Amino acid sequence: MSERNYYYFNRELSWLEFNARVLEEGLDRSNPLLERLRFLSIVASNFDEFFMIRVAALKSRKRSLGDGTERDPMSGLTLDELLAAISRRTRELAARQYACLSHELLPELGKAGLCILDPYDWDIDSRAWLEQWFINQVEPLLTPVAVPPEGEGPFPLTGNLKIHAAFLLRHALDASQEQLVIIQVPSNINRFVRLPGRGDLCTRFVLLDNIVLAFGHLLFPGWLIKEKTLFKITRDADIGVDEDADDDFVAAMEKVLVDRQVSPPIRMTISADSEGLEPIISSRLGLAVEDIYPIDGPIDLGSFISLCNMKGQESSSIQNLSFDSFEASKQFDDSEDKTVFDELRNRDIVVHSPYDHYGTVLEFIEKAATDRATLAIKITLYRTSGDSPFVKALIKAARAGKQVTVVLELKARFDEQRNINWASRLEQAGAIVIYGLAKLKVHAKAAMVVRKEEDGQIRRYIHLSTGNYNDRTAKQYSDISLLSSSPALARDVADFFNSISGLSSIGELKHLAMAPYDLKRRIISMIDREAERSNAASRGLIIVKMNSLGDRDIINALYRASCAGVRIKLNIRGVCLLKPGIKGLSENIVVSSIVGRFLEHSRIIYFYNAGNEELYLSSADWMPRNLERRIELMFPVLEDEAKKRVKGFLDLYIADNKNARHLGPGGRWQKPEKSGKLSAQEELMKEARKRAAKNEGQGKHTRLKVRRKAP
Amino acid sequence: MEQGIRAVVEIGSTGLRLLIAEIDSRGRPVILESASRPSSLGKDVFNSGTISRDSLQECVAILRSFAELMSAYGLKPEGAQVVGTSALREAANRDAFVDRVAMRSGFRIDIIEAIEENHYMFLAVQQVLGGKSAFISKTNSMIIEVGGGSTELMLLKKGKIAGAHSLRLGTLRLGQQLAMDGEGHSGLKRYLADNVRTISNSLDEELSLGSIKVFFAIGADAMIAARLAGTQGSGDYQTIKNADFFNLVDRAGQLGTEKLVSEFGLEWSEAEALVPGLLILRLFLERSSATELIVPGVSIREGLLAAMAASKNQELDELVHSQAQASALNLGRKFRFNEEHAKAVCRNTLFLFDQLKNLHGMSLRERRLLEISAILHDIGSFIKSSSHHKHSEYIVLNSDIFGLNRDDLLIIANIVRYHRHRGPQDSDTNYMSLIREDRALVLKAAAILRVADALDRDHTQRVKIERLEVKEEQIVLITAGREDLTLERLYLANKADMFEDVFGLKVVLI
Repeated sequence: MSERNYYYFNRELSWLEFNARVLEEGLDRSNPLLERLRFLSIVASNFDEFFMIRVAALKSRKRSLGDGTERDPMSGLTLDELLAAISRRTRELAARQYACLSHELLPELGKAGLCILDPYDWDIDSRAWLEQWFINQVEPLLTPVAVPPEGEGPFPLTGNLKIHAAFLLRHALDASQEQLVIIQVPSNINRFVRLPGRGDLCTRFVLLDNIVLAFGHLLFPGWLIKEKTLFKITRDADIGVDEDADDDFVAAMEKVLVDRQVSPPIRMTISADSEGLEPIISSRLGLAVEDIYPIDGPIDLGSFISLCNMKGQESSSIQNLSFDSFEASKQFDDSEDKTVFDELRNRDIVVHSPYDHYGTVLEFIEKAATDRATLAIKITLYRTSGDSPFVKALIKAARAGKQVTVVLELKARFDEQRNINWASRLEQAGAIVIYGLAKLKVHAKAAMVVRKEEDGQIRRYIHLSTGNYNDRTAKQYSDISLLSSSPALARDVADFFNSISGLSSIGELKHLAMAPYDLKRRIISMIDREAERSNAASRGLIIVKMNSLGDRDIINALYRASCAGVRIKLNIRGVCLLKPGIKGLSENIVVSSIVGRFLEHSRIIYFYNAGNEELYLSSADWMPRNLERRIELMFPVLEDEAKKRVKGFLDLYIADNKNARHLGPGGRWQKPEKSGKLSAQEELMKEARKRAAKNEGQGKHTRLKVRRKAP
Repeated sequence: MEQGIRAVVEIGSTGLRLLIAEIDSRGRPVILESASRPSSLGKDVFNSGTISRDSLQECVAILRSFAELMSAYGLKPEGAQVVGTSALREAANRDAFVDRVAMRSGFRIDIIEAIEENHYMFLAVQQVLGGKSAFISKTNSMIIEVGGGSTELMLLKKGKIAGAHSLRLGTLRLGQQLAMDGEGHSGLKRYLADNVRTISNSLDEELSLGSIKVFFAIGADAMIAARLAGTQGSGDYQTIKNADFFNLVDRAGQLGTEKLVSEFGLEWSEAEALVPGLLILRLFLERSSATELIVPGVSIREGLLAAMAASKNQELDELVHSQAQASALNLGRKFRFNEEHAKAVCRNTLFLFDQLKNLHGMSLRERRLLEISAILHDIGSFIKSSSHHKHSEYIVLNSDIFGLNRDDLLIIANIVRYHRHRGPQDSDTNYMSLIREDRALVLKAAAILRVADALDRDHTQRVKIERLEVKEEQIVLITAGREDLTLERLYLANKADMFEDVFGLKVVLI
C-alpha cells in the first residue's frame, strides 16, 4: 500500500479477500467433502466474474489512459500496483485451491467412492468404453477449426468461458508441416461423464474435456499430435447496453449478449500440460504473460458445482458427503379458511429464508393470482429462476383479467436472455411489462396486491425483500422478506410503482427511501443523527449487516459517528472499504464477516436513536453503484413483533464467534483467537428445526383440522 | 357522495396530478394512490395563449396512463372528477382541448374558476387541521398556494374568512412577463416585491397582514421547501422556521436551475418554478408576524375529494357556508357598509324565506344565496348613494367571495341590483345572461329582499317582526312593539310591488 494517508481499503483487493474467506471454508476440514468442493467451485466462478467485470474495467481504464499511473482515489494505489497485486493474490489463492483439490479433496472423495478419473487412471476397459462413447456421442458434435498462420487470418472465435481443446498437429509424412487446430468442447453434454459401474460402490466420472483431449486425434487421420492442451478465455463482459435505444431496447440488449462473446480477452486459464502451446495461443490472442493462469488440474472448477448438487439417489456412494439436509419451517400455515391475506390483516409476517419456508412469499403471489378478490398485482423482477413459479403465477393472473404490472430488469447481468424470454411471455398473456429504466437498474424487490374484499373495502398487501423473487436461491441465500397490510407502507409502495412504471414523477416517500433519490441522504442523516444524540451517559449504537460497504460518503459518516463515541458494529459479508479500529478515526467500529453454508444476503440496519430504536431492511448495499445507479429500496420494520424478530437475527449475526472473521486495521481477516461455539447460521437452523417439530407436534396431537362452515 | 373509490385529476399549469381515494363511512377520504407528471400546458398558454398540439398529445398520453392506474381499482375515466385550473381557464382553445381529451382518453374535464380553487384549498387545509381547528380560531392566519398560473390566497380572522383571492401571479406567468422585460434574477425580485407590495396594501384593508401569526403554504414549491428544510409536525404537516426558510430561498436563488436539479434532486420544471415560487411565499411571510411556515401535506386534490365527500359530512358543509358568510361580511366592511342594517335585513330576509317556504319552493342553496345578497345589498353606497343598487351589482360581480363561483355571484349581483327601483328589463344584460330558472330565482329572491329592506328603512332596527300569517290575498307581518309603523308602511307600499307581482300577494304590516 502506498505511504499516503488513504483511509480506505481498495475495492478489488477487498473483494479478493472475500474470495479468500470462501476458499478457507473449502479448506476447512470440518466441512463435508462435497461442500468443500462446492466452496472451491464457487471460488472459481467468482474469479470468472471478477475478471470479466472488475479486472476488465481496470484494464480498459488503463488502455484508455495509455498508462497505469492513475491512482485509486480511495486506497491511493495506482492501476499498475493494483493489477499486479490482483494477479499476485489470485495466483496465491488458485495455488491453494488446486493444492487442496488434488491433494485432499479428490483423493478423499475417491476413498469415499466418488472418483474423478484422470486420463492416467483410465484402465483398458474404461479407455475402450470411452473411445466408443466419444465416437458415438461426442465426435459428431465437434467442429475442429484450423488456426491460420499469423498474418493470414484471425484467430478463430473462442467465446467467453468456453472450454477449448487445442492440438498442434504434425503431418505424419512431412514433419515440416504443422497445423494448429482448436475444438470447442460441447457445452450441451454434461461435463461429468459417468463410467459404467463395476459392481462396487464406486461412482466414477471422467471429464468431457479430457475425453476430447484424449481422443481428439481420431479427428485428424494422417496427422500426429505434437502437443495438446485445454484452455478457457475470459472476456470483458463489462459492456453497457445502448441506453438511447428506447425504441427497441430488447434488441439492443440482445446485441450486448452477442458482443460479450467477442469482446477483448482478459484472462486465459490453461492446463499446465503443454508449455509449447501456451505462448502461441496467448500471443495470437494478444494476451500478456500476466494474463495467463496455468492450472495444474481440471480447468473451470466452476462447473463442478453440478457434481456437488447431485442427490444421494443419483449415486448411493455420495451420501454423507454433504451438509445434513435442512428443511425450512413455515412462518405461517395457510389453509382454505385462512389465507396469507387473512393473516396479514392481523400482523406483519417476516420470512427469513432459508430458515423460514419461502413458500409463504410464493403463496402471496400465487394466491393473489387465482383469487377473485384480487384486482391488481405489481411486482419487480430482477433475477428469477428458470421456470419461475412467480412468473407462471403472474401469467395466470394476467390471463384471468387481473391487472398485472411487471417491472422486469432486462439488464440483470447474466440473466438477460432469460428475462427477455419472460418479458415476451408476460406480454402475450396481457400483462403490462416495463423493461426497466434508462440508465438505472431496478434492483429493488417489491410487490403489491390490490384486493377488493368481501366487505367491499379495498385493501392493499405488500411484500418487500432484501432478495430476489427466486424460489431456488431462497434455499441458499439468507434474505428477509416483510409482508404487511400496513396502509402507510402500501401507500409508499404504490407511489414507488407509479414512479418506476412512468405513471408519475418521483415523489417523496414517507417511510421508504429510494435510491438513487433519497436513500443515501437518509442513511447519512440517520448516521449523523446517531452521532448528535450520542453522549457519555447514553452512547449511540449502529448495527449493520450488509454484503458490501464501499460508499465513501457513508464510510466518512461512520468515521464521524465513531469519533462522536457511537459504537458501530458492522457485519459485512464481502467487500468492506472501511478501515476499522484506527485510533482517532474508527476505534469504535468493529467489522466482522460471515461466510458459511448459506450465502449471507440480507441487509439489516439498526439505529439506537436515543432509545427510539429504528430498524430497516434494504435491497441495497452501501456501494456507489447501488446508491447512485440503481433503483433500490430501504424499508422500515414497524410492527413490534416483526421488529423484535429481525433485531434478534441481527444480534445473532453480531454475536457469531464460530464462523465470523474479524477485519483488522491492516486489512487482514482473522477468526478470533478464542474461537467460540456460536454460529449464527447453525443457531437459526436449530431454531427452525425446533419450530418445525413444535408445529408438527401441535398438528398431530392437540387438534384435528375440521373442515366445516363456521357455526 | 357514497362510500367507495373515487379518482380526482387536476390538470394544472405545471402538470397533471391524480389521486385515488376511498371515501370511508364517515365521509373521509383515505388516499390510495397518487401520481403526478409534469406538462407544458402553462408554458403554452402563458406564452402563446393557446395549448399546442404537442401538449395536447402529452396530456392525452398522461391521462391514458392514469386510466391504467385507475383500472387497477376498477375505475373508469368517465367516473373521475377532472378539474382544469388557470392554464385551461385562459387557453383560447380550451373547448377544443376539453373535447379532444374526452374523445381520446375518456376523461371529462371541468374547468373550475379561480375562486373555487380557494374553496378546495380551504377544504384541504381543514382536513389536515382536523380536530385542531381551534388552533386557528384564536388567531389570524393566511393560507397561500403559489401555482404556475395564479396564486390563491386566503385570509382568516380568528378562523373566519376575511378575504379570498386568486391573484394573477404565477411562477410560469412570471417567466413570461420577465422574458418580455428582459430582466434576470434581480429583476424578478424587484418585480415580485412591487407586485406583492401593491397586493398587500389592498389586503391590509381586509385584515392587517401584520396581525397574521399562522402562515400556511401549500403547493409544489412549499412541499419541496419542507422536504429540504422542514421538520415533521404532529399531524400531516411540516414546519419550516423563518430563518431556515429564508436561507433556503437565498441558496436556491444562487444555485440556478441546473444545480437545483442536481443538488436538490428536482425535475427540471420544478426547479424552474422553485425560486419565483419561494420568493412569493417569502414576500408574504415577511409581511406577516408568523415565525414559521406550516406546510400541510395536502393539495387542492384532497380538497376536491373532501368536497365530494362533503354531502356526507354536514359539519364540513356548514363550515364552508359560515366561511362564505364571513367572507361576505368582510367584503361589506371593506366597503364600509352599515353592518347593523345589513344584519337586520339579513335576519328579516331569512325569516321571510323560512316562513314562506311553501310559497316560493326554494331550497337551501337559494337560501344561502339570498342570505349573502342581503348582507351585500347596500354595499354600492360606498361609491354613491344614488343608484347604489347598480354599484352594488358591479362590486359583487367584481369581487371574490369564498365558497361561491361565478354563477353564484351573478345571481347575487342580480338580486342586489333589484333590491330597489325598477325590476328587470330586456336591456339588463346581466339579468338576460341568466338561464330562465335563475331569472325566476332572482325575481323571487329580490321580492323577498325588498320587503325585508323596507322593514328597516330607517336603519335603526327598531321594527321587530313577531309572526307572519299567509292569508288568501295577502301576507300579514305582525310586529311585537307598538311603534309608529307609518314610515315602514309607506316604504312597503313602494317596495312590495315586486312581491305582489311575483307571488300575487299583498304585504300588510300591523
